[in-house]
Amino acid sequence: MSILANKDTRAVIIGGVAGVNAAKRMAQFDFLVNRPLTVQAFVYPPEAGQQKEIFRGGELKNVTVYDSLAPALEEHPEINTALIYLGASRAAQAAKEALESPNIQLVSMITEGVPEKDAKRLKKLAQKHGKMLNGPSSIGIMSAGECRLGVIGGEFKNLKLCNLYRPGSFGVLTKSGGLSNEAMWLCAQNGNGITSAVAIGGDAYPGTDFVTYLEMFEQDPDTKAVVMIGEVGGSLEEEAAEWLAAQPRRIKLIAAIGGTCQEVLPQGMKFGHAGAKEGKKGAGSARSKMNALRDAGAYVPDTFGGLSKEIKKVYEELIAAGDIKPEAEIDEAVLPELPPRVQEVMKQGEVVVEPLIRTTISDDRGEEPRYAGYAASELCSKGYGIEDVISLLWNKKLPTREESEIIKRIIMISADHGPAVSGAFGSIIAACAGIDMPQAVSAGMTMIGPRFGGAVTNAGKYFKMAVNDYPNDIPGFLAWMKKNVGPVPGIGHRVKSLKNPDQRVKYLVSYIKNETSLHTPCLDYALEVEKVTTAKKDNLILNVDGTIGCILMDLDYPVHSLNGFFVLARTIGMIGHWIDQNNQNSRLIRLYDYLINYAVKPEQPVPDKK
Amino acid sequence: MAKILEGPAMKLFNKWGIPVPNYVVIMDPDRLAQLGEANKWLRESKLVVKAHEAIGGRFKLGLVKIGLNLEEAIEASRQMIGAKIGTAEVGQVIVAEMLEHDAEFYVSIIGNRDGAELLISKHGGVDIEDNWDSVRRIQIPLDENPTIEQLTELALNAGFEGEIAERVGKICSRLILCFDNEDAQSIEINPLVIRKSDMRFAALDAVMNVDWDARFRHADWDFKPVSEIGRPFTEAEQQIMDIDSRIKGSVKFVEVPGGEVALLTAGGGASVFYADAVVARGGTIANYAEYSGDPADWAVEALTETICRLPNIKHIIVGGAIANFTDVKATFSGIINGFRESKSKGYLEGVKIWVRRGGPNEAQGLAAIRKLQEEGFDIHVYDRSMPMTDIVDMALKS
Repeated sequence: MSILANKDTRAVIIGGVAGVNAAKRMAQFDFLVNRPLTVQAFVYPPEAGQQKEIFRGGELKNVTVYDSLAPALEEHPEINTALIYLGASRAAQAAKEALESPNIQLVSMITEGVPEKDAKRLKKLAQKHGKMLNGPSSIGIMSAGECRLGVIGGEFKNLKLCNLYRPGSFGVLTKSGGLSNEAMWLCAQNGNGITSAVAIGGDAYPGTDFVTYLEMFEQDPDTKAVVMIGEVGGSLEEEAAEWLAAQPRRIKLIAAIGGTCQEVLPQGMKFGHAGAKEGKKGAGSARSKMNALRDAGAYVPDTFGGLSKEIKKVYEELIAAGDIKPEAEIDEAVLPELPPRVQEVMKQGEVVVEPLIRTTISDDRGEEPRYAGYAASELCSKGYGIEDVISLLWNKKLPTREESEIIKRIIMISADHGPAVSGAFGSIIAACAGIDMPQAVSAGMTMIGPRFGGAVTNAGKYFKMAVNDYPNDIPGFLAWMKKNVGPVPGIGHRVKSLKNPDQRVKYLVSYIKNETSLHTPCLDYALEVEKVTTAKKDNLILNVDGTIGCILMDLDYPVHSLNGFFVLARTIGMIGHWIDQNNQNSRLIRLYDYLINYAVKPEQPVPDKK
Repeated sequence: MAKILEGPAMKLFNKWGIPVPNYVVIMDPDRLAQLGEANKWLRESKLVVKAHEAIGGRFKLGLVKIGLNLEEAIEASRQMIGAKIGTAEVGQVIVAEMLEHDAEFYVSIIGNRDGAELLISKHGGVDIEDNWDSVRRIQIPLDENPTIEQLTELALNAGFEGEIAERVGKICSRLILCFDNEDAQSIEINPLVIRKSDMRFAALDAVMNVDWDARFRHADWDFKPVSEIGRPFTEAEQQIMDIDSRIKGSVKFVEVPGGEVALLTAGGGASVFYADAVVARGGTIANYAEYSGDPADWAVEALTETICRLPNIKHIIVGGAIANFTDVKATFSGIINGFRESKSKGYLEGVKIWVRRGGPNEAQGLAAIRKLQEEGFDIHVYDRSMPMTDIVDMALKS
């Protein structure tokens, strides 16, 4: 048996993330004692309509968030308890609504800093409706083996250590949340565990006092003794003493009172709890509370350290008197374990999971990203540049200085080609339409294809093939291309020709030839091809795509990476165009009619729809 | 609980129609001269000058001067402003009219569980202690304020007569309105004085506590609560309070000069038992501290460093109960960093550290802090199997 919370308790949690976290902890307890989920609904207007995922052991439950209490209670008529997890400015109103809802019998508030006037009003309201109000500032209520309300009891392991999976014989009453857990632990170690534990909160005016709960414990036959942890301030402990002395009581009372240190400390010194404040002339002092309780027949150790001994003593007396029959200890091995998360099981090597993706280039699981094994900051500190990072991520190799200088030049040369080309123009149109940078740049990016900038890969691929399959046989290669592919990628330009060469190509070829020691079979082959094609037609020159493609093949880059150089380089230009248009606050572009040939049918009437 | 200074209390009284003497709060004595030119009462009344600070025993410290004319008041202000009392410095003074009066009364109102209680007596001022029997009381149930007739009746019972009883009833009624609407926890007016020639009343001195948790609904609370420990807060205390107001959970810190055992304890309940344990074993605490509600690690780190800087400490008690949801690993990582940082700055020389804690991730947290032994810390670490406050016994026996 228990008080306040039991197997039939079903709760709604009013509040946001803290409430959801509490619900998760509560579900762990539900799993441990094999009971249905305690939390049936959440009320939190900002997240109304969502479902919160709560694991009860390995079972995933979805709990609905409502925008107010009424619909939650309508859909869950079994709910009889409300837990308030809102901030102080809204908690009182929520508690009021809960107390006024007919089905709800118990309201427990974790909220700290509730104004005293609000707390007093709520208490009065609860009394008027015959409801229980626990808190504010309460960590919650625990009934061993039956029900957990709030995070009281801590983590799963602690629930077992404190024997909370099965009822014992001790009730626990505390103001403090942390000490409720400590007291449950002491009862498990020195006795047989608890029936129920209630943290009433450390505020000056708690919704329910010690005496009310003592009376409930007195009526609960399974509770044989109560451990009460009070502290300086207020008169709840003195009232408990009066209750104890008023008539013979079935339960024994063990009490520890905090705050004796106040006798030697500066007057008015503030303790952790709002209610821990001595009144005038020593009223409510720890010492006077201890004396009152001792006089009333309670077991009161001088210090907290003496509490274990008192509990043990009372437990042994109860056994000697036959009030408690020692039960065989449950073997903890039979208790369920929380199902571990996949990561934890994998760490222990007990499960195999097929990976969804595979990567061979980078890893950010350590303290910083590593590119092909090299730490980014170390690359920086040792003087490497962006061209080396490109090599690492695209080719998984750290290039030689000569190689990285070539890569750098390829990027520099391809970065932009003015506003008129498809890519830049696409980005400019988007920028002028007010489109954000990523989308505007991708508008330009979509232009990259077979006719614009996309020939690098194919040029590299076919010239490489030619080197292997048609060495010294350019006519054979051209014939094969004509039959199987069409025009040779990388050959030909709209405006440039032999007489009007592309300076970029000239520079790149001369740089490679004169200033590097790169072995260039592809480039050499392409230049030979150019001699043949320009003999046929003046503008069938080796263009910049072809040049770059060949150089990259000669640098041993993977064929798939080749277009990437153009994509990367042009991104720099497209971003520049987007910034430029935005800086100028350019207007929306619309084509003038005179730039369009309207080769459409003349106006005609729409026939009636048949 | 938040005690407020006389100035803000007077302002709230004025707002609710409770008679107060004329007063000004100043930080610059020259300003008082200027105010004297503008206000007749400053030139024509006897004045009282009081340090407007949370300093206990102001009278004995010479921080209250009475029966002054304007010139003398300016001179008194000049002496008080900037005066250093221990760690405190007087920054402002309140100058009020010393109303010539015929009688001193006592009125107070104190919140309790069911509402509040109003107390009145004909014998105010210094006489109230000796005449406590003369006090008449009325319980004011929550949201059921007594009528002026009931309050006049109370005044008559307390020995007030005729028109004075009626006026006292009316003042009480306004005091209740003030108490209720301003989320006050207690108000003590002593003395409430009367000058019979023109039937003028005034609350000459008042102590008021407001519920600081209710500040969210008081737009005109332009004051800050003052220290209730008989001295202003130290810089370190202010810093921790600032952090406390910014974080989830809480960190608290009060210095107790001269103590040898520093407390770095968790939980509003457990921390008090740790302080008790130190005192019960004949030790002296150097501070009271508490962190709870799973505060951020950096906040606990700041608290740790503050505690390490306490002068002449011999022990630090890193104690706590078995936490419900405060993550031991996370909060201990803040404590560990704080210890390391403090040691590197030369603190913790010869200081023994005693640890006992349980709660979420306790094994990892305790293992991590135990490692400080390898770094030369004199640290003793225990888990939940060590009774909570026994580390204090061990510290004081060592």
